[in-house]
Amino acid sequence: MPLVPLPLPDPGRPDLSSPLGFLRWLGRAQRRGQLLATLWSTLELGSMAALPVAIGRGVQAVVDHDTRALLTAGLLALLLAVVQTTMTVLLHRQVVWNWIQAASQVRQLVARQASALGGGLSRRIATGEIVAVSSGDVEKIGWYVELTARLYGAVLAWLGVSTVVLWRQPGLGLAVLLGVPVLAAAVWPLLGPFERRYAEQRALGGKASELAADTVAGLRVLRGIGGEELFLRRYRSASQRVRAAAVRTARTWAVMQAQEVLLPGLFVIGVTWYGARLALDGSIGVGELIAVYGSTAFLAAPLRVIGEAAHAWSVARVSAGRAVKVLTLTRDDAPADGSAADGSEADGPAREGAAGAADDGAELVRRAPRSDLHDPVSGLTARAGRLTAVVCGDPDAAGELAARLGGRPVLAEGVAAGPSARLGGVELDGVPLAVARAAVLVHDKEPVLLSGTLAELLDVPRSGRVEPAEALAAARAQDALEALVDGSPECAGDPMAARITERGRSLSGGQRQRLALARSLVADPPVLVLDEPTSAVDAHTESRIAAGLRELRAGRTTVVLATSPLLLDQADTVLLLQQGRVVASGTHRELMTDEPRYRAVVTRDENEAGAGAGSAARPAARPAADPVGSGLAGSGLAGGAE
Amino acid sequence: MKPPEIHEQGPATTLPVGSTAAVRAYGRMLLRRHRGGLAGMVALHGTATVAGLVGPAVLGSLVESLATEGGGRVAAAIGWYLAALVVQSVFTGLSLLRGSVLGEEVLADLREDFLVRSVALPLGVLERAGTGDLVSRGTTDIDRLARSVRDAVPELVVAAVSVVLVLGALVVTSPLLAATAVLGLPPLFFTSRWYFRRAPQSYRNESAGYAAVNTVLAETVDAGRTVEALRLGERRVELTDRKIREWISWERYTLWLRSVWFPTVDGTYALAVLGTLVLGGLFALHGLVSPGRLTTGVLYAQALVHPVSRILRWYDELQIGQTSLARLVGVREVAEPETDAALHPEGRRVEAQQVSFGYREGTDVLRDITLDVEPGSRVALVGPSGAGKSTLGRLLAGIYAPGRGRVTLGGAQLSRMPAERVRTEVALVNQEHHVFVGTLRDNLHLARAEADDTELLAALVAVDAAEWADALPDGLDTEVGSGGTALTPAQAQQLALARLVLADPHTLVLDEATSLLDPRAARHLERSLSRVLAGRTVVAIAHRLHTAHDADVIAVVEQGRITEYGSHPDLVASGGPYAALWRSWRDEG
Repeated sequence: MPLVPLPLPDPGRPDLSSPLGFLRWLGRAQRRGQLLATLWSTLELGSMAALPVAIGRGVQAVVDHDTRALLTAGLLALLLAVVQTTMTVLLHRQVVWNWIQAASQVRQLVARQASALGGGLSRRIATGEIVAVSSGDVEKIGWYVELTARLYGAVLAWLGVSTVVLWRQPGLGLAVLLGVPVLAAAVWPLLGPFERRYAEQRALGGKASELAADTVAGLRVLRGIGGEELFLRRYRSASQRVRAAAVRTARTWAVMQAQEVLLPGLFVIGVTWYGARLALDGSIGVGELIAVYGSTAFLAAPLRVIGEAAHAWSVARVSAGRAVKVLTLTRDDAPADGSAADGSEADGPAREGAAGAADDGAELVRRAPRSDLHDPVSGLTARAGRLTAVVCGDPDAAGELAARLGGRPVLAEGVAAGPSARLGGVELDGVPLAVARAAVLVHDKEPVLLSGTLAELLDVPRSGRVEPAEALAAARAQDALEALVDGSPECAGDPMAARITERGRSLSGGQRQRLALARSLVADPPVLVLDEPTSAVDAHTESRIAAGLRELRAGRTTVVLATSPLLLDQADTVLLLQQGRVVASGTHRELMTDEPRYRAVVTRDENEAGAGAGSAARPAARPAADPVGSGLAGSGLAGGAE
Repeated sequence: MKPPEIHEQGPATTLPVGSTAAVRAYGRMLLRRHRGGLAGMVALHGTATVAGLVGPAVLGSLVESLATEGGGRVAAAIGWYLAALVVQSVFTGLSLLRGSVLGEEVLADLREDFLVRSVALPLGVLERAGTGDLVSRGTTDIDRLARSVRDAVPELVVAAVSVVLVLGALVVTSPLLAATAVLGLPPLFFTSRWYFRRAPQSYRNESAGYAAVNTVLAETVDAGRTVEALRLGERRVELTDRKIREWISWERYTLWLRSVWFPTVDGTYALAVLGTLVLGGLFALHGLVSPGRLTTGVLYAQALVHPVSRILRWYDELQIGQTSLARLVGVREVAEPETDAALHPEGRRVEAQQVSFGYREGTDVLRDITLDVEPGSRVALVGPSGAGKSTLGRLLAGIYAPGRGRVTLGGAQLSRMPAERVRTEVALVNQEHHVFVGTLRDNLHLARAEADDTELLAALVAVDAAEWADALPDGLDTEVGSGGTALTPAQAQQLALARLVLADPHTLVLDEATSLLDPRAARHLERSLSRVLAGRTVVAIAHRLHTAHDADVIAVVEQGRITEYGSHPDLVASGGPYAALWRSWRDEG
């Protein structure tokens, strides 16, 4: 039987009304697969149940000295074996495929959700929680989906066997019909304690594993400073707690397994005893006795499936709940009037509004290169086509300003949106997310390097005006390229084919910053807002980046939030922000001579910097101000550690 | 069907992997350590299996008596069956429990051994290899091994015991029937060999493919702001779909492997039952076997199915476990540097004499460096990225041993001193300010285990961290690090500095210690740092020129050599490259 090609091009629109609804929706999406699997399962179990009949006939033939009957019985057994073998493979293929379909659908949905929420995601939910849905929870949901068909098969097989026996021996048939549900239910009282102990073991195991990972990740600190013994002791006790918990789980498990031998065994013995007495009466033959014994013993198989399904159901429900929680998250930054809707919300009631907004959006993006960017909160204006630098003493305020300049910022919980930044007079908070991001690119303080080859890293939506090589040259990333080539032997000397590991961990902070800068430069947005793009770069290189940036962004609107004189000197206009407002503007040199507050921030002297320099409490234990730096004796070396 | 193409390798292996011989030796060592537990498990399970053999024998005797005498001791036979069933249930439970206890002990040994070895790795190895590979060994490989040790090993042992006992029972029942029951084994041997040659690697690829989907997803979530800002959403979705496709292609391949192999396994079972039934029946018709024994024999042949399935099912898990074990054992193979415990420094002077160093044979990162660091002085290393400043710093901190030349502290060679002694004298302060999972107290204690709370608090005060530390909900007992109270990068940095205060080394090498922080947040850290530096010898790898300005001596490092050396006024006066850079910085700034 051909299997459906997976993954599906589109995972579909799930029913997120409840965990149960979600599981049902997954089941509906693979109705054909479920039907086939049920059919194969019924046939497989049916042929297994019938095999004892063939064995019984064979033995009866021997007792009767009937060679022909023996061969007929052999033929029947052969037929059943062929059916069973075929069905086992068909069933296995189908249920595995059903599992994969459900798992891949959930994973596709989660990935789409993560992309749609973007920056809004990490504020709402921990990364681990989302990844857990895509790994552990997916497995449990898949397990349940896989089992449903086998559960139906097991129930059908049980009813089938009961009917046949009922017809031949009503007493036995009744025993089988009623015995199976009773035996299946007998496992349930232990299931709860087992689940609890297992959950405890998992939690402790997770903690120990985290402790190991954390100790190893910080090993350079431990080896450099000390404390190995302390951490080993901690880990040992965590490890021993896991061991003790696992043994507690094993106790319940052992009782469950013993019970799984004992109860069906008692049932088989009872049935055999009854059968033997019937055989003594002569009402059934030896062969039938064997058939009765074998078929009852066979019932252990559907019993196991029913027990497993109950187990799977209890865990899948919880997992489906977690999946629904992740899939129903929304990005709560849409303007209050609801007039704007972005792509991910386009199916909502605001559809017509969205279409209108999309037209405006295209227009906004087209006009963006010729539009001034204005932030009413700070009074900042960045002129179209110019390089504007902003000096701001307070890092948090700078981050908020950068986010505001891009429009539709992600707000912390309980924070009301202030007045929107305007691009060419249009409120950026009022346009669809995609439009705002296309018009203004905010390069925040901690841009993340996504893993992959350098070519993949630089493959971002872009204007096409700037080539990757130009951007890398402007960001002066040559030594980062060399480090990448050194670190990936498989790239054969081609930096574009060299691999960047997760978060660029193999690179130094300065190298990471320059690659991230190159990526934003390649995108070549109409408006680029850079927040401290070179804070980890050495002075030699920074001055060259400043020149490269100016050259590459010539004629494009660029805003740089920075404090380094090497960058500030390249700007057309420098704005000084204090307490969230623009208090001075001019060129770097003008401000250096005319504006003591500016000089104080840029030359890193705090006494003159005033209240805007930072929110941290600072005892005034500094020497008197000296703009150029001889007064920095107390902290000069410290600054060098940057 | 061909295996899918592999598009991507997993995380690079930067540390050695244990050889087969080393893994075997380690396995034997574990076996010796847990001999008693293993023997107990085998004995318990053997008893359960033997008890399980009673049922078919009872049925056979019933058939026998019904066929020949037309009746007889049904009640007695059923009584035996019942007693055997009780024994079988109890011993099955006991053997499972014994197996779990044993498995958990072995697992605890394995993971604790691994960490013991890991925390003894030389700092130079860690600096070079990074910790990514080690973390993946400590988590993924331990988890994989848990499956092997917890399930595969006991299952295989138990199943092997069952096969031997059932076959034995078959031979006792009727050697003829035993012969027919194993008819199907030779073909099974060949198909299984075919399967097991392909299976382990394919399953590894399959689970790597499965994990790769999550890696992409975790990155998308983690980099949410970047993804949104650069409009990468659609590409991330495409990438996830591609990873899902790659994962499914491996699922499909392993499914195909099983589709070929399963029927041969099932066929073998069928052949065993069919063979004993038909051939045994013919033997019985000729009086070679009694009907009762025939019945018992056929049921025993059927009883072989279960343990053989278990062996086949768990065998590849064992192979996977072996690969993970090799990665864990590999950590033991990192050579420990030769040290001389008798070596004690006399004084605090750090000197590099004609030092050359390269990470790889033939490519020197540093060439012929001679540098003398006066006790109590401040030396700034400046120069472009990639010039070798950080490497030089690590040589001066005793983390790397020079290829040629000597780096000495108080006349004693740093690289020959035990790491535990070096770090009481010199410490490297870098961008890595790891906050460990645990209490704030744990995080400080590691620097000086014997310190009491007063000393810990004093260290926090010294780095200007007392204010936020006091504000923590449980003070020193507050859980910090991943999962606990989150510290800001600046607080993490202060914590690292407080550790230095506690460890109290007289010489510090600063490598871009605050460079990843926002310069505006860095500012008040400088104050914390300056207090820590007071009274110590400092070698600072400098990014900002005002750092260099204040140092006693500046060494300009370019292309692995010291090209300029002297005090700030001297260098500015000499008019070299440093002077040029300084002028541009100062005039502009």
